[in-house]
Amino acid sequence: MKFFIDDLPVLFPYPRIYPEQYAYMCDLKKTLDAGGHCVLEMPSGTGKTVSLLSLIVAYQQHYPEHRKLIYCSRTMSEIEKALTELKALMKYREGQLGHTEDFRALGLTSRKNLCLHPSVKREKSGTVVDARCRSLTAGFVKEKKERGEDVDLCIYHENLDLLEPHNLVPTGVFTLDGLIKYGEQHKQCPYFSARRMMPFCNVIIYSYHYLLDPKIAERVSRELSKDCIVVFDEAHNIDNVCIESLSIDITEDSLRKATRGASNLERKIEELKSSDAEKLQNEYTKLVEGLREAEQAREEDQFISNPVLPDDLLKEAVPGNIRRAEHFVSFLKRFIEYLKTRMKVTHTISETPPSFLTHLKDLTYIERKPLRFCAERLTSLVRTLELVNIEDYQPLQEVATFATLVATYDKGFCLILEPFESETATVPNPVLHFTCLDAAIAIKPVFDRFSSVIITSGTLSPLEMYPKMLGFTTVLQESYSMTLARRSFLPMIVTRGSDQAQVSSGFQIRNDPGVVRNYGNLVLEFARITPDGIVVFFPSYLYMESIISMWQGMGILDSIWNYKLILVETPDAQESSLALETYRTACCNGRGAVLFCVARGKVSEGIDFDHHYGRAVLCIGVPFQYTESRILKARLEFLRENYRIRENDFLSFDAMRHAAQCLGRVLRGKDDYGVMVLADRRFQKKRTQLPKWISQAMLESETNLSTDMAVATAKSFLRTMAQPFKAKDQEGISTWSLADLERHLAKQRQEEDRMKRETLADAQANNGFHRNGAGIADHDEFDDGIDEDLVMLDAQ
Amino acid sequence: MCESCVDRIFSSGPAPCPVAGCHKTLRKAKFRKQTFEDIGVEREVDIRRRVMQILNRREEEFATKRAYDDFLEQREMIIANLVHGTDVAKTETDLQRYAQENLSSIRANQALEAQEATTFQERQTLEQEQARLRREAARQEYENERRELLAGREDVLSRLAAGRAGDAAAIAREGQRVLLKKSSARRSEEERIRQKQAVLRGSELRKGVAAPTTAGITGAPDSGLVKGLKKIEVPVPDKPYDPFGGLVPDKRDYYTLQEHYPSTYLDPIRQDTRMLAGGYDLREYYSRTLLEAFAGLGCFLDEELSESGSLDASKPVATQGAAMAAATSGGNASKA
Repeated sequence: MKFFIDDLPVLFPYPRIYPEQYAYMCDLKKTLDAGGHCVLEMPSGTGKTVSLLSLIVAYQQHYPEHRKLIYCSRTMSEIEKALTELKALMKYREGQLGHTEDFRALGLTSRKNLCLHPSVKREKSGTVVDARCRSLTAGFVKEKKERGEDVDLCIYHENLDLLEPHNLVPTGVFTLDGLIKYGEQHKQCPYFSARRMMPFCNVIIYSYHYLLDPKIAERVSRELSKDCIVVFDEAHNIDNVCIESLSIDITEDSLRKATRGASNLERKIEELKSSDAEKLQNEYTKLVEGLREAEQAREEDQFISNPVLPDDLLKEAVPGNIRRAEHFVSFLKRFIEYLKTRMKVTHTISETPPSFLTHLKDLTYIERKPLRFCAERLTSLVRTLELVNIEDYQPLQEVATFATLVATYDKGFCLILEPFESETATVPNPVLHFTCLDAAIAIKPVFDRFSSVIITSGTLSPLEMYPKMLGFTTVLQESYSMTLARRSFLPMIVTRGSDQAQVSSGFQIRNDPGVVRNYGNLVLEFARITPDGIVVFFPSYLYMESIISMWQGMGILDSIWNYKLILVETPDAQESSLALETYRTACCNGRGAVLFCVARGKVSEGIDFDHHYGRAVLCIGVPFQYTESRILKARLEFLRENYRIRENDFLSFDAMRHAAQCLGRVLRGKDDYGVMVLADRRFQKKRTQLPKWISQAMLESETNLSTDMAVATAKSFLRTMAQPFKAKDQEGISTWSLADLERHLAKQRQEEDRMKRETLADAQANNGFHRNGAGIADHDEFDDGIDEDLVMLDAQ
Repeated sequence: MCESCVDRIFSSGPAPCPVAGCHKTLRKAKFRKQTFEDIGVEREVDIRRRVMQILNRREEEFATKRAYDDFLEQREMIIANLVHGTDVAKTETDLQRYAQENLSSIRANQALEAQEATTFQERQTLEQEQARLRREAARQEYENERRELLAGREDVLSRLAAGRAGDAAAIAREGQRVLLKKSSARRSEEERIRQKQAVLRGSELRKGVAAPTTAGITGAPDSGLVKGLKKIEVPVPDKPYDPFGGLVPDKRDYYTLQEHYPSTYLDPIRQDTRMLAGGYDLREYYSRTLLEAFAGLGCFLDEELSESGSLDASKPVATQGAAMAAATSGGNASKA
């Protein structure tokens, strides 16, 4: 269907539109016009992606600036989904407009997913693929080949050079699969095609990391212009992604490997010195002149890029004491030895980067400045040495990145050294956590560089938390509710068991047999009444294990077994996926199953339990983070000191967004239905922190239930839901046809005019003129409708 | 070497190194714990420590960044030489010479470094202390809030119990309002405290920064070893202020004014009270007369004529006459 938002014609690839989709698009357009950032929360399963894409594509094509869209999503399957949607949209547009638009959209993912090389693509680990790919595609390898040496090259990559550099793939939308197929047909590398075509794309879809992780971002996303529209979809965890991208963990093992890497470097330098000393000398003179010159040699096959260095630093020359290769290697060795020494402590230490640097200087005379250049210098050295098997140098690179980060940032980072893995462990296994505490550091370049950044997800409440934490200002933040023709989901809070004893996963009572039994009964009762699949979320693996073993002892599991198959998520990805598959089969064949999983695990984030895969979701306990963790404590303190977010506020916000994520898993569309149960006494007070669409659907009477009451309510709810429900019932309420949309528009305009008139009438006497104006507006609207009809007639 | 071995061999004074072939004499006091796992790095750091103490030039002392970088590289070379045992003798002598020549600057830089370290320490402890205080305050605040909340609830309850049946809604509403007011007041208070703290923190930072820069830098001229040092300029003492910019107002080119010129006509005046009482000063008269007499002597007509050349024939005569007159009177004056 086609409609207008202000003056913008939007082609929407479905005959019906949800009211919230329309509102979402209007707000998006407002943001794009105003040129700022926004935070939008839209219920899951209401077609967020398609509304986003159709509006932005319309915006691109209609206005002369043709602003590029960068759409970032979290997982590969989500990227693929978005690309498929986009493809359908463009096909629809083509049908409507009658001509093919000059439009190109590509998705980018890792080499591992896109590689076509017969032997490389068989590698399992991503880093190995990267390394082997580099050894076949790097610039110096090609030079060697030209010199007549016998080296292998990747034919897929070589073929790219034969094509026009701005037209490696034709226009159109390519899904990842499509791109691989195209590459296979034309014998060209899909990964490098996508990378090189980026400046020529209208839409780019890739993972967060390509924009947020400074180690990759600079390589991949450097050439994007300022007026790009950046969208972060499923962004409820964006602060954690930011933090992770700048955090580094160093273990004794990685230090050992780094030492080996440094020794290898030393040996290579010696070799090169005896064979081709000129090369080292060239690098040396280049470095003497300054980094910028060295930078020009940068290529896409680069080893590491430096993590967020301030620009003025990049213009400086490398300090003299690491200019020579051998000095630099001895410098690295010293640094690694120092870290090893630090690892020998027996108690936990947390310190700030400045104090770390002082201690480092006292012990090894390593100063801050050369440390800052460490990553950059290592890159340059690796390039000069023409190292091929770079995966061996991965730990060394990590140490260099750490060195650069620790010397660059005084604030917002914290070093935590934990000698033991857990409290009870007796064998030391020290880990040096270098954690970023400030999510704003990683995302700041994005906000600085792009004028419109859109952050959107199904669960972002409370909205004001994100601008605060990420350090930006919004022109718009909005949460949409879900319009429903019938009450299709039933959120409830269970605070008591059937025996009226309160249930909670609070630390004091979580192992209380009464509480455990009440939880068990809750699960059992729901297993009894719910058809098909149930998903149960626990706050942590540890708690899940203990409670399941207690249920076993109480015979609860045996009773559940009568109704449902029991499956459990484990930290191991393969085991979990097997469990998930079995779960799906059991749901499909009518046996029914209950899946026990963890609120912060993989299942809670990316897996949808639509329709019969999930008719009820139970959240056992508030999924708080483990508060005794040093890292979390440091972060909480940082948030309090710098962003004025109180510890408890943040913990509760974080727990609730995970709880909301879990609940959202079960409802993936308007014809879907499900029961949502929050089983903890403490949820009663945190109700307001749930997303608007969930908290609005929760009745006051259902916020303080006992198990038996909840079961009764759920039973009657499921019975109503089981009645036949035709799509026609939804029309005009939760789905709009074009006519509905126009009726809504007319009403809105009338409302607006009435408001205007009223305010005007208050202000001045002569409101006759305005009534005229209103009349004209109404008339226009009417005309539009006629035009539309005429167009339709013509088309027929 | 293990501790007990060290005790065993060296407790009775210095003894030769137990390693075969090594003839050094060792002392117990010089033994210490190994810091690093890698003995090579340990040794390098030892050497580095010594070299760094001697070659401790600072970046501010160099004219350009390039020079500083060159210095850093050179230092690195020296250390590498010592570590790998190439050219040890020459490097050592160079170092020794440098150390002797630049004793004062080495001392000064060491002192500076020590000072920096202590200020950093102080700041660090101060910051930690403040962080602790802030944490404490936040906790306190949170507790207060809780207590107030509870108290408010109790209060409402007790009033509900005491009041009439009809007032219940009003009392509950009022209780709610009081709570809201309190919380908003607390927020504004919080804000104020935070701002104050921020200001405090800022001033401390400034203080901290100001301290190390006050120390002056003194250095020796370029020594043989280190190149590219900034030339140390000896400041020229300021000249006294000259309002005329080099022009001397009382300067006479051809004569000097004297106190007394013998003259029969003027001499009596010197004693005449009637004249002097009015303030008449003979020196004034001398000065004027002499000035008039010598006026124009600085002009050289020939030069000016050749430049302009369009003067009447009669004029030179007159001018010449005047010049002659001036000359005679000048001659008189100088004779006098």
